[in-house]
Amino acid sequence: MMSSRRREAITFYLTISPWMIGFLAFTLAPMAIALYLGFTRWDLFGAPKWVGLDNYMRMLADPLFAQSLKVTTIYTLVYVPLEMVGGISLALLVNQKVRGVGVFRTIFYLPSVLAGVAYVVLWMWIFNPQGGLLNTLLGAAGIQGPRWLIDPRWALPSLLLMTFWGWGRAMVLYLAGLQGVPPELYEAAAIDGAGVRAKFWRITVPMITPTILFALILSIISTFQTFTSAFVATNGGPLDATLFYVLYIYRQAFQYFRMGYASALAWVLFLIIMALTLVLFRSGQFWVHYEGERE
Amino acid sequence: MKKHTSAVWPLLCLLMAFTLLAGCAPVPAAPALPAATVPAAGPAEGSKIILRVGTGDSGEGLTPHQEIISRFEQANPDVLVQLEAVAGNDYYTRLLTQIAAKRPPDIIQIGDDAVPMFVEKGALLPLDDLIKGQDGLDTSIYLPGLAEPGKWNGVQYLLPKDYSPLGVYFNKKIFDQFKVEYPQDGWTWDDLLATAQALTQDTDGDGKTDIWGVQLPASWTSGFEYWVAASGGRLISEDGKQFAGYMDSPEMQTALKFYADLYNVHKVAPPPADLAMWGGGNTEFDQGKAAMRLFGRWPQAGYKTNPNIDLGVVGSPAGKERVSVLFWGGFGIAANSEHPEAAWRFLKFYAGEEGAAVWKDWALPAVKSVADSSGLSKDPIEGVWISELSHLAPRAYVSTPFWGQTADPALRKALETVLIDPTADVAVVLKAAAAEAQKALDEQMAQK
Repeated sequence: MMSSRRREAITFYLTISPWMIGFLAFTLAPMAIALYLGFTRWDLFGAPKWVGLDNYMRMLADPLFAQSLKVTTIYTLVYVPLEMVGGISLALLVNQKVRGVGVFRTIFYLPSVLAGVAYVVLWMWIFNPQGGLLNTLLGAAGIQGPRWLIDPRWALPSLLLMTFWGWGRAMVLYLAGLQGVPPELYEAAAIDGAGVRAKFWRITVPMITPTILFALILSIISTFQTFTSAFVATNGGPLDATLFYVLYIYRQAFQYFRMGYASALAWVLFLIIMALTLVLFRSGQFWVHYEGERE
Repeated sequence: MKKHTSAVWPLLCLLMAFTLLAGCAPVPAAPALPAATVPAAGPAEGSKIILRVGTGDSGEGLTPHQEIISRFEQANPDVLVQLEAVAGNDYYTRLLTQIAAKRPPDIIQIGDDAVPMFVEKGALLPLDDLIKGQDGLDTSIYLPGLAEPGKWNGVQYLLPKDYSPLGVYFNKKIFDQFKVEYPQDGWTWDDLLATAQALTQDTDGDGKTDIWGVQLPASWTSGFEYWVAASGGRLISEDGKQFAGYMDSPEMQTALKFYADLYNVHKVAPPPADLAMWGGGNTEFDQGKAAMRLFGRWPQAGYKTNPNIDLGVVGSPAGKERVSVLFWGGFGIAANSEHPEAAWRFLKFYAGEEGAAVWKDWALPAVKSVADSSGLSKDPIEGVWISELSHLAPRAYVSTPFWGQTADPALRKALETVLIDPTADVAVVLKAAAAEAQKALDEQMAQK
């Protein structure tokens, strides 16, 4: 009895060991080192010099830290709900039993597969204020388009506009959620006389709340990490209007070689994301419905 | 609730892993190109000296390196050279890591703006003794101004690899179409403005400009130093310690005002297409929709074959001063190289006449005799670039190891401000930029 248990335990640890080793060596250890570096001044050269809380104090007085946090927060607050509504809407559309729906699923998902930089460069052409696709179309309709990426007021909205191509990723998650809803629930509701609207709000939404929670958390984590679009299209400008937090970390680390400050910034980001994730999880007990919990 | 938690924990662990990644691995590393190594070694090669050469060049830019290396290996059978190419932004990071780990390449390529930083970190071997030594090098073989960016505090650390001054391209097709005379060397800012105004045209009468006078490099900071020097100003004090009083000087105001007016008041320059790229992202000159372009020599090969363009090149126009600015890359020897003798032999070969003989087919050669004997000095286009070297203004970023994190962001912000907001007061903008740069510099120097 014991020996079979032990064998099972050994098999378990052997099976997960590749992941465990990878996690320890490439995630946990770098994190611990970054935590230490956050209390030092280090330019990749020589020994890190211990400076206590200097790096964290510095953030409080650093206007660009505040700016990058602001930009990232605004972006997250707008993007996450948009992606949720967009993703669910697309998922509902491609969940219909229509001939050739697979083609549409592929079409909507396809842009998510594009490599980040190629995708951004493509959008830079679209946003080009002279002769770009968007302003040419607007011009044809008699509208003088804004200067998009070069206008500090429009740069962040432009980056947001680019991202609707990424809804396909959320769509796939929600589609899986929708397909997990048992059809007999709809049948029963139909017999009780529920309309489309009632079915959606009373059955579909509650049944996919676990998916919503999961997608929401993934979405928040990835928006807080936004980097490529700002790095390629605007380099944080104009006038720091698109200075995302991770771009600021990148600058400090790999352009100014302030590894200590950059590590401290990275840890603050980690704590922010961790806190948001925990809050969302906790909130789940008030709105997430787990079918398995029903007695 | 019990069931709930047990189902949630594995998920929470997974999400933790995601968040950990978020905090710690934020930067998608650009894929490093596989190091381009030199053709395979035979069995007897074990005894050879292996020299590692680090470069930030990539793609076609590696061909001249490989050509020079194979010539060097033929002449020096005891040495095997390995070219280690790391493209793009990662090059310096990688180099600094290698230096910190005491395993840098023996030969290191560095751009002019990073020379002070690498020297201050003790990464480079001073070359003066080698230059004056028995197997020395006559540095007067170089065209004027090309040895200087490799110096720091008067000591030579690097020798020139490639370079470009700033000049003005012009498209003869557009000049001919509107019967405007080609610009001539010795022209002035007034001539630039008048020529650009004559060439800024609304050809279809819809009230919008179709042909622009001159395409300018938007918020490109290192190119902007030309305008500052041409108006008689400097970005930084000679001792490399003061931005205040320099970045906000009257000369600086004149320069920024004239530059911004070309965009906002005279409207002879196409508005920047984006502010991310160093050239402003504009393509009007390439499309035959801008008559002139102020820039370095880098896109020239494409212009020569571009059907929209009949290319001419002229020196930078004179403001109060007749100046140009230099962009430069060089090679040095790592301070802790195990083979300094072989490294010097290679460096001398590379940056000397032998290397220049290969470079001349790819870019401008640094060695005067090669430039002359190949006819490039007299070439109607290449000759213009070479003669710009007689007008070089000093570079701010070779005066301080901290340029990139102090004045560069401040100047960039100032340029963006005046380009975006035509009503911005140049004096106020520059006052703020100088103060910001000074504060950052003082902080850096205090930490040193």
